[in-house]
Amino acid sequence: MLLEQLINGITLGSIYAIIALGFTLVFGVLGIINMAHGEIFMVGAFVGVTTTGVLGWPLWLAFIAAIVVTSILGYLLERITLRPLRGKKGVSHLAPLISTIGVSILLENLSHHIFGAGNKPFNTSFSEIRINIGSITIYLVQIVIFVISILLMIGLTIWLSKTKAGKALRATADNLETASILGVDTKRIIILTVVIASAIGGIAGVLVGMAFNSVSPQMGLSMGLKGLAIIILGGMGNVKGAMVGGLILGLSETMLVAYGNSGYRDAIAFIMIIVILLLRPQGIFGSKVSQERR
Amino acid sequence: MVLEVKNITKNFGGISALKNVSFSINKGEIFGLIGPNGAGKTTMFNMITNIFEPTSGEIIFKGENITGIKPYKITEKGICRTYQNIRLFSQMSTLHNVMVGGHSQSHAGVFSSVFRTRAQRKEEQLLIEKAEELLDLVGLLEHKDTIAENLAYGQQRRLEIARALASNPSLLLLDEPAAGMNEKETDSLYDLIKTVQSRGITVLIIEHDMPLVMKLCDRITVLNFGEKLAEGTPEEIQNNEAVIEAYLGKEEEEVNA
Amino acid sequence: MVRRYLKKEGDRLLGEILNTYYLQIGSFILINIMLAISVYVPLSSGQLSLGSAGFMGVGAYTSALLTLHFDLPIVVGIIAGALVASILGVIVGIPALRLSGVYLAIATLGLGEVIRVIFVNWDSLTKGSVGLTGIPQLGREILEFARGLGFEPSMIGIKNNQFVFLSIFLVLLILVIAILWFVVRQQNSRVGRALSSINMDDRAAESMGINITYYKVVSFTQGAFFAGLAGALFAHVIGFISPADFAYHRAVEVLIFTVFGGSEVIVGSVFGAFFLTLMPEVLRFVSEFRYIIYGIILVLLMAIRPQGIIDTNLLKIFKFKRSKGGVR
Repeated sequence: MLLEQLINGITLGSIYAIIALGFTLVFGVLGIINMAHGEIFMVGAFVGVTTTGVLGWPLWLAFIAAIVVTSILGYLLERITLRPLRGKKGVSHLAPLISTIGVSILLENLSHHIFGAGNKPFNTSFSEIRINIGSITIYLVQIVIFVISILLMIGLTIWLSKTKAGKALRATADNLETASILGVDTKRIIILTVVIASAIGGIAGVLVGMAFNSVSPQMGLSMGLKGLAIIILGGMGNVKGAMVGGLILGLSETMLVAYGNSGYRDAIAFIMIIVILLLRPQGIFGSKVSQERR
Repeated sequence: MVLEVKNITKNFGGISALKNVSFSINKGEIFGLIGPNGAGKTTMFNMITNIFEPTSGEIIFKGENITGIKPYKITEKGICRTYQNIRLFSQMSTLHNVMVGGHSQSHAGVFSSVFRTRAQRKEEQLLIEKAEELLDLVGLLEHKDTIAENLAYGQQRRLEIARALASNPSLLLLDEPAAGMNEKETDSLYDLIKTVQSRGITVLIIEHDMPLVMKLCDRITVLNFGEKLAEGTPEEIQNNEAVIEAYLGKEEEEVNA
Repeated sequence: MVRRYLKKEGDRLLGEILNTYYLQIGSFILINIMLAISVYVPLSSGQLSLGSAGFMGVGAYTSALLTLHFDLPIVVGIIAGALVASILGVIVGIPALRLSGVYLAIATLGLGEVIRVIFVNWDSLTKGSVGLTGIPQLGREILEFARGLGFEPSMIGIKNNQFVFLSIFLVLLILVIAILWFVVRQQNSRVGRALSSINMDDRAAESMGINITYYKVVSFTQGAFFAGLAGALFAHVIGFISPADFAYHRAVEVLIFTVFGGSEVIVGSVFGAFFLTLMPEVLRFVSEFRYIIYGIILVLLMAIRPQGIIDTNLLKIFKFKRSKGGVR
């Protein structure tokens, strides 16, 4: 039993980690928290539901559709809400946050209107495939989710450190002005970052649908907040941190549901946010926030 | 001795911004802190006002060890500063900027402010009067209702000084007050600082304008790469070999700074 | 004959104005103004708090539970609700100081959600998601009180339920006016200047001798107080509360009142709450797509006019009288 719970926890944690990766990428490069990221994830999930359910497409196509739609959303987000605010004189640093809050409630309620409030079933034959090892049952989906999250993390890490684009992204993250002076096409890098982050969110959306067999317009909000909790725990802008943080949250929630008072499950993430911000604002892997910026 | 800086060292990560710097300032002096860019002068100001705590060393003000005390308390004790890159309250009027400077000299809390007690009204009146007097001193009285960000650059510099004076300091720290000023403005600044001195206020000034420094200061400390290079009267500094060498080749840049 | 006609018309108009529907909307507008001010006050010292829904809920549940289970008078309940919320405000506000900008916003968001989850799960106390019903209603209590003194609404020509809603509206109006007076007075003073300077440049403010810790906690706590007060009043006006009333959506809605109306001046919060509470009532389609429209408003606002509709320049055009020692 415990082992199965552990596996459930790792699965949940991997999903959280994937969502957190999207947050951490955008924060790392733009220094802003994209409150709409959770909703983009939700849109990905709904694309998955619609393509497999209504259109009857195969799963792999659903993934591609989700990636395409969320990438476009990400691009629009950057173009319409984030870019106009960059470099504008005297715009408070809260403006991008508020703007993305606006996008998030817009998307959530749009989806509400289109799809209705409740849970939509997401059933694919793939979700049913399971493996039995002794007394334990593992679903293939769970393994796939875990593997994808590891691949994403490794892939991102390699991409960031080894490829030219990845290095350009890190340079931009470090110092926008300097990177621009050094010849980095910062505009493109920023678009690329937001698009990749959104696509990752889209992938996560389909995965969640597969793992839990249902999606709802409300899932974006709760996932969004949890994603935030994770990057705060792991360290904003830190890829490793997103992974570790995600696993920690996933495992704690699963254990609480299995062995404790399940109602307070969602509170873990929020309490984590508060505690970490107070005790160690830079998170587990983050570097100490420089005081000199003030 | 008004201020004693004892063996101050400040490291930022791997970089040593200040290495074992010591000097002391006597009451009523105008004391200059000069050195090439990056020598650690503003960092020294930040140590004195505790924007950052020193890695080691002490700051003694009027006999009291103020190292590491909260910045607002340091102001209450009588040290106030201006900033190299002007930090005014940009959307506030000129008058209000100076009145904020007088915060430590007043007491009204939430309730006395809301209910406008007799004491509070008197205090407000005094704050306004003092602020106007200081604005008059720096020549900005006619602009008292102008929003600070709409003032000209030189005016903003003078406003910062007025604001700092409103805190009734014993020691005034000026960080490059003459930056960007033309000759006429610099002459006015000289007069202003001399007037401040005549009020019994000790002045510690960072400046790159050498003629101003030499004319104004009673004594000078020279920093270079975070270390104290020399200390003495303007004449002594001007004839100091090490100082000349440190500035040689950099002199062109400094003159135009 | 003319006199009789005038009296009839007067009665009819009175009936129109004292239409319970209008009075109800007016009451909601007033509660929303209170909530908007609860966001505005911390914001004026540079603190964006998204926890107003949480503090509101604390005020509401405290007052509801005290009046329901201990039969305390409504007035006591409301005061207790506001005080408990402000105590929580101090407890949260002190550690929250270390955070600024985005981090503070998220932490307060997390706080609001923790509070909501507690409301949902502590069902022995709060009856969980079902909520509390039968909360003593403010208007009715006032009616009973007046009756006890021998007064009947028919004496001044109005019906019972008109009196109920009218008295609620008047109580709220008086409270809002008092709060506005308090905040404006505070702003045009040494305290207000300190808060503004912290907002504009907190490092510089500190070097001018301002104890930013103290002032930030004060403004944060005041925000919590006003939100808690609004919550307690809300409970006693509607008579029924549930955790859903104090969720993230509420916090966003309240945020929009201030951000849309104008975050630089208090008139902005009043205007924002007024306009955005009224619009869904007046325009049906606005009500249906309310949150979608809110979302679009936020995005457009930040891109085009981040300070909100009413800002200091607009006020200057209308030549509002400026107090001598004032900031806004």
